[in-house]
Amino acid sequence: MKQIDEGEIICRVLGGDREAFAVLVDTYKGPVFSLAFRMTGSAQDADDLTQEIFLRAFQSLGRFRAGERFFPWLYTVSLNVIRNHLRKGKALPEEAIGKGMPEATDPRDDPAEEAVARERRLRLQRFLLRLPPPVREAMVLRFYEGLSFEDVAAVTGDTISSAKMKVYRGLEKIRSMMEADGSTGDE
Amino acid sequence: MSGSLMKDSDIEKMMDLLAGEEKNPREIAGEHPETDPRWKELEAIARMMRREPAVEPPGSLGKSVMERIRAHRPPIWTVVGEALLRPRTASIDPLRALRSPISGQECSFYFIMVGVFYAILGVVLMIGLNKLGSALAPAEWIRWQPRIALVTASCMVAIGLYLLKDGKPALRIARIGAFVYLGFALLNGIAVPLERDLPVSAFVSLFSALIGLPTGFFLIRTIQNCGKQYAQG
Repeated sequence: MKQIDEGEIICRVLGGDREAFAVLVDTYKGPVFSLAFRMTGSAQDADDLTQEIFLRAFQSLGRFRAGERFFPWLYTVSLNVIRNHLRKGKALPEEAIGKGMPEATDPRDDPAEEAVARERRLRLQRFLLRLPPPVREAMVLRFYEGLSFEDVAAVTGDTISSAKMKVYRGLEKIRSMMEADGSTGDE
Repeated sequence: MSGSLMKDSDIEKMMDLLAGEEKNPREIAGEHPETDPRWKELEAIARMMRREPAVEPPGSLGKSVMERIRAHRPPIWTVVGEALLRPRTASIDPLRALRSPISGQECSFYFIMVGVFYAILGVVLMIGLNKLGSALAPAEWIRWQPRIALVTASCMVAIGLYLLKDGKPALRIARIGAFVYLGFALLNGIAVPLERDLPVSAFVSLFSALIGLPTGFFLIRTIQNCGKQYAQG
C-alpha cells in the first residue's frame, strides 16, 4: 500500500473536494473487496458491498476523528455493512461458493499445480464460510488481511484475548472440517 | 495437548506463535510445537490462509465507487444535522457581548437561548392558563399569550440557526427580528392590562415588559457588536 497523507485527504474531502476521496478508494479497494469476498464467498456480493462500504465511509467521514488511523476505522465500517448483509440472510448456497471467484495473482507456473491450489483455495473458502460470522471476521482479518491481534480487536470491538480465542476456535473448527472431509492443511 | 483442556493463557500464547509474534516460540509453548500434531495442523491451516494470493478486485470497481460518490446527495436532515452538531468553539460571556465585538456563533447562541426561554414560557403559560379555565373567557388577548410565546420561540430559534449557518448575511434579518420583538414586547405589555383588569393580566403585562424590553435591547446590542466583529474581519 503506498504511503499517502490520509489526514490531508480526509480534510480535503470534508472541505467539499469529493474527487480527493478517489485516492482513498484506490488505496483501500483491494483489502476491502478481499474482506467482503472472504466474508460472503461471492465476487458479485463483494463488488456491491465494497461500493456500499465506500459510500458509507464517505457519508460518515465527518465522524472520523483526526489523529485516528484510517484503515481500522474503514474496516469497522466495512464489518458493519457486511454484518448487515449477512444478517439479512443473503448467504451464498454452498455450491455457488467460489463461482466467479476473482483471479488471484498466484506465482505458480505449472497449470496442474495451479489447479490443485485453486481447488484447495475453494475448499478453504467453503470451510471458512461455515464458521459463525464473528469467528470468520477474526480469521479473515488476522490471516487474509494480515492485521495484528491488536488491530483485529480494535476493528471487531473485542478484547485482544477474545480476538485470539475466536481465531483459535476458527482454526480448530476448520481443522475438524478438514478431518471430516479427509483433506489436510498441508500444501 | 487437548483442545478442551487447554487453558486460555495457553491458547493466547499459541495464537501469538501462529502469528509469529513471539521471539522464541518453543520457550513459551514448552513442548507443544514439537510433540503435538494438532498444533502443527492448526499452524498449517494458518500458514495456508496467510499464503493465499490476494484477491483482485474488478478493474472497474474504483470507477463505480466514485460514480456513486459523485452522484450522492445527502438528505436535507443530514445536512442540517451535521451543520448543527459540528463541534464549534465559541466563548459565551453576555456582559462582554454588551461591550465588545462578538462572533456570529455567540450572537446565534443568545437568540437560540431566548427562543428556548420562550418555548418553556409558552408551555408553562399553556398549562397554567388552561387551569384557569372559564375565569379567562372574556380575556382573549391573555388567552393568546402561550401561542405568542411559542411563535416568538420559533422565530428566535430560526434566527439563531440562520446566524449560525450564514453569519454576516443573517445579521440584517436578526436586526429586524430583534426590533420587531422589542416592539411587540412593549405592545404586549400595554395591550394586556388594557383588555381586562385581572390579576393575571397585570402579571403577564409586567412579565412581558420586564423580560421583553431588556432582552430586546440586549439582542440589538449583541447584533451591533457582532456587526463590528464582521467589520473588523
